[in-house]
Amino acid sequence: MRGFGGERINYNYRKAAHLLFYGVLAVFGIAMLTFILNIVFLISAAIVYVNTDSNYVGGGEIMKALTVTQNGYVLDREVEEELGLKDQWAMLLDENGRVIWSIRKPEELKDEYSRSDIARMSKWYLQGYPVQMRAWDDRIMIVGMQKETMWKYNVEFSLPWMEFAKRVILAYLFINFAWIVVLAFFFTRRFTKNRERARIEWIAGISHDIRTPLSVVMGYADTLERSESLPEDARQQAAVIRHQSLVMKELIADLNLTSQLEYSMQALRKETVRPAEIVRSVAVAFLNDSEPGQLDIDMQIEPKAEQLCVKADRQLLVRVFRNLINNSMKHNGRSKLVKIRIAIWQEKQKCHIRLEDNGVGYSEEILRRLRSRKKDSTGENIRGLEIVKKIILAHGGKIRFGNGEESGEYCLITLRGMKQNKAYFNGVWNHLDYRD
Amino acid sequence: MNLYDCKILLVDDEKALREMVSGFLRRAGFHKVTVAANCMEAEELFAQKAPHLVLLDVMLPDGDGFSLFKKLREMSEAPVIFLSARDEDESRLRGLGLGADDYITKPFLPEELILRVTAVLKRVYRVKSMQESEIITLGRCQVDLGSGVVHWDRDAADGNQAGSGGVYGSSQVNGMEGKNGEITLTAKEYAILQKLAQERGRIVTIDALCDAVWQEENYGYENTLVVHIRRLREKIEEDPSHPKYLLTVRGLGYRLV
Repeated sequence: MRGFGGERINYNYRKAAHLLFYGVLAVFGIAMLTFILNIVFLISAAIVYVNTDSNYVGGGEIMKALTVTQNGYVLDREVEEELGLKDQWAMLLDENGRVIWSIRKPEELKDEYSRSDIARMSKWYLQGYPVQMRAWDDRIMIVGMQKETMWKYNVEFSLPWMEFAKRVILAYLFINFAWIVVLAFFFTRRFTKNRERARIEWIAGISHDIRTPLSVVMGYADTLERSESLPEDARQQAAVIRHQSLVMKELIADLNLTSQLEYSMQALRKETVRPAEIVRSVAVAFLNDSEPGQLDIDMQIEPKAEQLCVKADRQLLVRVFRNLINNSMKHNGRSKLVKIRIAIWQEKQKCHIRLEDNGVGYSEEILRRLRSRKKDSTGENIRGLEIVKKIILAHGGKIRFGNGEESGEYCLITLRGMKQNKAYFNGVWNHLDYRD
Repeated sequence: MNLYDCKILLVDDEKALREMVSGFLRRAGFHKVTVAANCMEAEELFAQKAPHLVLLDVMLPDGDGFSLFKKLREMSEAPVIFLSARDEDESRLRGLGLGADDYITKPFLPEELILRVTAVLKRVYRVKSMQESEIITLGRCQVDLGSGVVHWDRDAADGNQAGSGGVYGSSQVNGMEGKNGEITLTAKEYAILQKLAQERGRIVTIDALCDAVWQEENYGYENTLVVHIRRLREKIEEDPSHPKYLLTVRGLGYRLV
């Protein structure tokens, strides 16, 4: 026997991992994008800064361009022009605060400055003019700009605060990043969810809209089929229409169900159900509708498993067993009598259900398709079985398809059982109710 | 009241479907069928005609069937069968105890519709159609489901007794020798037999039988059911250990043939 290991992996986890991967990718992408955007913004701010503000003549430059001659100080022509161009002025003070040289100095400024004047202007403005100072031996070079062209402020921080700030800034950056991640996550999720929902609703809407006209088609086809005034072949054709309408009905139900299971949007309407009871009712429905000698179902339920309950969507479980028995009846090969053996047993709090038949078994190709994760709609139609698989996996159960040792196919389903609860103990008491 | 005199109100927004369904109902013998295309019309007609049964589409142009249903229920207790075109409704109809009497999922075959309508009417108004008999015959014994009494045809029994090797004598059922060959069924035996007789010829699952006998919360009654079946066989079968009428379908249920 080949290993069926691959099939055992729970698809829900796989799918979740899949989604998680893309989710993380998207979130990371958005975070990175925000980060890059920030950097670009900072760089462009810096470029703008370089292009505008830093373009002034500094004290050092003037000092270099200033030479002492017999007639006093002489400034290099080029620098002088540049100062004029940028509407700057400069002056040089000696150790007593007297102006010994100046260029383009505003009229309103004094020619002599006290120590306190110098201290003040070093920190603030000189009568409204922003100034920069540089010590030159015992002289002081002052470069000034026009009023209202430069913002000047002294910054002082205590060292402990700076230490603290370093950490705060780091934390701040981290919080920012986390926030971006959260936002990105939120929006990606919303976006994908909305898209999924729209799609499911669209399909649900279509299948709804088809059902009413299909009722009419089916109803009248059925009437024609029974109408005795019609010739035999017309009635035959009506029968075909009716039959094909029933096929369409199944197709629509499958389409709707598949789309909802696919996107796990169908909130499973879980209730406490007994698999033994569900399997039995489906089997009996088939037996009651079959011709004598057409179907034989051998049902073996372990007494312990009889009371085992699972949390599941009843309708969907019914569908699982209906599809499986249907499949067995369709592919029974040459033998007219379809024999199906169903066993239900309990093992480690799990409900195991195995269906096997005496048919032709699954082909290699079908098994491969049932086990693969990819959708592959070429070849034989196995939609019914795929739905079975989807339903079981949506319930967090496990499913295996395979072929029997000799002939036929089997399907093994494992569902998580519920703890033996109150219901079970009620059951124990109920055993004693032989009263009439 | 005759079953076919029941007034039926059909509410659906699709004209073609309305015409078809009302046609089916008329052909099946229900000659008092009224149709409405929306909630407003339905409410008016409901008040005016006081129908015995309402066939109600879940999706209507001016509201949903569920809220209309609640409004109608405030006016009268007339049974309602929902017509639904969505799978989603099915779970809602099944659960929640909405109080609807039944539902049919579109698309449906006329036969199914007529069956359900008839079943609901019979259940609610206890009207009986002619062909339904209260007495079921199982070989030499007849069970009157009206009174829950098993009548044994004594003459035939005597004639048969020699052949069947004195089964009678070994029977544990004392009532069998009682006056007029009559045995009374207990409530539970009666419930089992009634359920089987309803589905005569078809298999009835163990679970469905338990439901019929104990109604809800019937976990773990299967073994008890076996006991009741055995007692029932003692009353209706000639040879309870080799039943001819009440047959076991192993693992699945029982069948009355």
